[in-house]
Amino acid sequence: MTWNYSKKTTELFMAAVQGKPGSHLGEIEEPDGFGEHGSIACGDALRFTFKVDRHPTDPKQDRITEARYLTFGCTSAIAASEALCAIIEEGDFTPIQALEITNSDIVDYLEGLPQAKIHCSVMGAEALEAAVFNWAQKRGVDLADLGIDIRRDEQEEGRLVCTCFGLTEPYIERKIRELQLRTIPEITNAIKAGGACMSCHHTPGGLQDILTKVWGEQPTAFKELPVLPMARQPKAQPPREMSPFKFAKLVEHVLEEKVRPQLARDGGDIELVDIKDNVVYCSMKGACADCIGSTRTLKMMVEQALKDHVDERIRVVEV
Amino acid sequence: MDIIYLDNNATTRVAPEVVEAMMPFLTEAYFNPSSMYEASRGPADAIAAARRTVAKLLGNARATEILFTSCATESNNTAVYGTIAARPERRHIVTSAVEHPAIYEVAKDLARRGFEVDFVPVDTQGRIDKGAFVRALRPETLLVSVMHANNETGVVYPIAELSRIAKETDPSIVFHTDATQTVGKLPIDLRGSFQHVDLLSFSGHKLHAPKGIGALFIRRGTPCRPFLLGGHQEDGRRGGTENVAFIVGLARALELAAGRHDADEPRIRAQRDRLQSELVARIPYLEVNGGEAERLTNTLNIACHFIEGEGILYQLSEHGICASAGSACTSGSLEPSHVLRAMKVPFTAVHGSVRFSLSHYTTDAEIDRVIEVFPEIVASLRRLSPYWDAAKNVPRPEALAMLSETEMPQAR
Repeated sequence: MTWNYSKKTTELFMAAVQGKPGSHLGEIEEPDGFGEHGSIACGDALRFTFKVDRHPTDPKQDRITEARYLTFGCTSAIAASEALCAIIEEGDFTPIQALEITNSDIVDYLEGLPQAKIHCSVMGAEALEAAVFNWAQKRGVDLADLGIDIRRDEQEEGRLVCTCFGLTEPYIERKIRELQLRTIPEITNAIKAGGACMSCHHTPGGLQDILTKVWGEQPTAFKELPVLPMARQPKAQPPREMSPFKFAKLVEHVLEEKVRPQLARDGGDIELVDIKDNVVYCSMKGACADCIGSTRTLKMMVEQALKDHVDERIRVVEV
Repeated sequence: MDIIYLDNNATTRVAPEVVEAMMPFLTEAYFNPSSMYEASRGPADAIAAARRTVAKLLGNARATEILFTSCATESNNTAVYGTIAARPERRHIVTSAVEHPAIYEVAKDLARRGFEVDFVPVDTQGRIDKGAFVRALRPETLLVSVMHANNETGVVYPIAELSRIAKETDPSIVFHTDATQTVGKLPIDLRGSFQHVDLLSFSGHKLHAPKGIGALFIRRGTPCRPFLLGGHQEDGRRGGTENVAFIVGLARALELAAGRHDADEPRIRAQRDRLQSELVARIPYLEVNGGEAERLTNTLNIACHFIEGEGILYQLSEHGICASAGSACTSGSLEPSHVLRAMKVPFTAVHGSVRFSLSHYTTDAEIDRVIEVFPEIVASLRRLSPYWDAAKNVPRPEALAMLSETEMPQAR
């Protein structure tokens, strides 16, 4: 699928990769706020830092003067990071005011994002939130006191729902409410949950169950795929006199005693790969591996040795 | 801006010679080849001739063994579902972990329907684990399907040997190979080295015929039921009025490929090898996916550590260069390519993979241009990356420590 980014998105991206003046690429040394979201394994990651103009008496009146980012991710993830920094610097916010910035502000700044890329804007808002929490800790501001839910235990305590992206039930549930997500594709677009193996979509306690818990029962057209019963055929095997274990041991013994010494004379060797019923899979090593006559050698010599000493019905397949 | 087209494993430019061969059947010779009047003879004869050409160029197969379809996906679906329908008593299928979705998704669908499916793993270079292949074969194995060459990495699989092993294990195992990436690029000898292959799929648009035409070789005597039911076309094996012009185009494209092969192969190989060695020399922390395996000469899949592929493609596109990536952001899923993950490409690089695929029409100047612009594209994204130390131009220490980890860090 080709790109359907807004002009603003591509402009911000190109300005960032070309390092144009005014772009917010980088990391502030000794930042007042530091926040990360995502990971390289998940396909996108953002490191966000900001600096404040410190208020002499009341830290709550600190003003953010500078914001920087480093982003691993696609075109829109990089553009969304630029947008986040630009919004913050243009707004002259206190960190607490900056918490009001949502992912839809980032989407608006970018003049729209494709549905499947909404998670890039959510990543920006998440990293900002983490950075503000970090600032509050450093400056001794008790956010909980101000009525801000800092959800400290959410990631540790919650039940893991999306194992691919490591997302917990409380987090997914909060995001469903905050971002007004109504369907599984909307969840995936916004926070990536359920976007990889998809096994959490309809399992008990999965994404559909969380949606139902939040919004109540919704009419749905989903039906489970029919699982057809296995048609297992009892396999009639002609009985062999010895157990499979003894059979395998004997094959190994014959290869070791009768076959290897002969091959070794020509600088070759043989490896036993597998045994299935009466079929013995072998692989030629050393000088034998490249020998044009190796198939013939195996068929003639190995098979005959095994027929003579183990079982008349043995077939040898070269691997 | 001129387009530099290096995405030939996705699709190819239609050769002018192919267009020329097709034109009569898009204009005056429009008649239905199944009709009785004299005017239909032209289209009917053209299909018969095309069938003979295709059969001959696949190693003197019989014309009756060639089925024309709409695409390789249809050929693959016909091969798998057709075999299942013909042999309901067997319920086990062996395939590889790196198949194209046209087999991979079909196999997963069958697993959901209660079939037993083994996905044979590959090593870090994308080579199939032959021991695991042997161990996967069972008395109730119905079908083995392994691709001839991988579309993402170009790694070539030893189909002659795998099909022989399957048939020597049990002659009634049906062996299918998806040869979409190799027909026209590698010689295929269905009477010689591929004598144990029962079913072989491919499509036209990977070898300079148009999209919308494919073929399936069905060896005489292979149990395979029709997939598209309808009229008596294709000897009753596939309903639907024949796509005359495209069938003619497919045969013409195969002829062209056969005629050009000996001249194209060394030239494309040299271009690809030069692109690879120049990029490896100029860019640190670059992996060549499948670089140590036997590969198609036209394919180069590289993985750039610590950056994401979509930003690479976007910037390449700004230079008019068309390529593909295996990252999540370019696939429509949020998951990176199952092929690269099966190869355990480090997770620091799997999102930064890019595929260049060359063709008959690729020029040395185009390769030069990629060598010129690609290193700066990678550098520009690394400057933005939280895992890269832009000042020293090396990975950050904590990122360097991740390099040896191949598994995704979360529980899967």
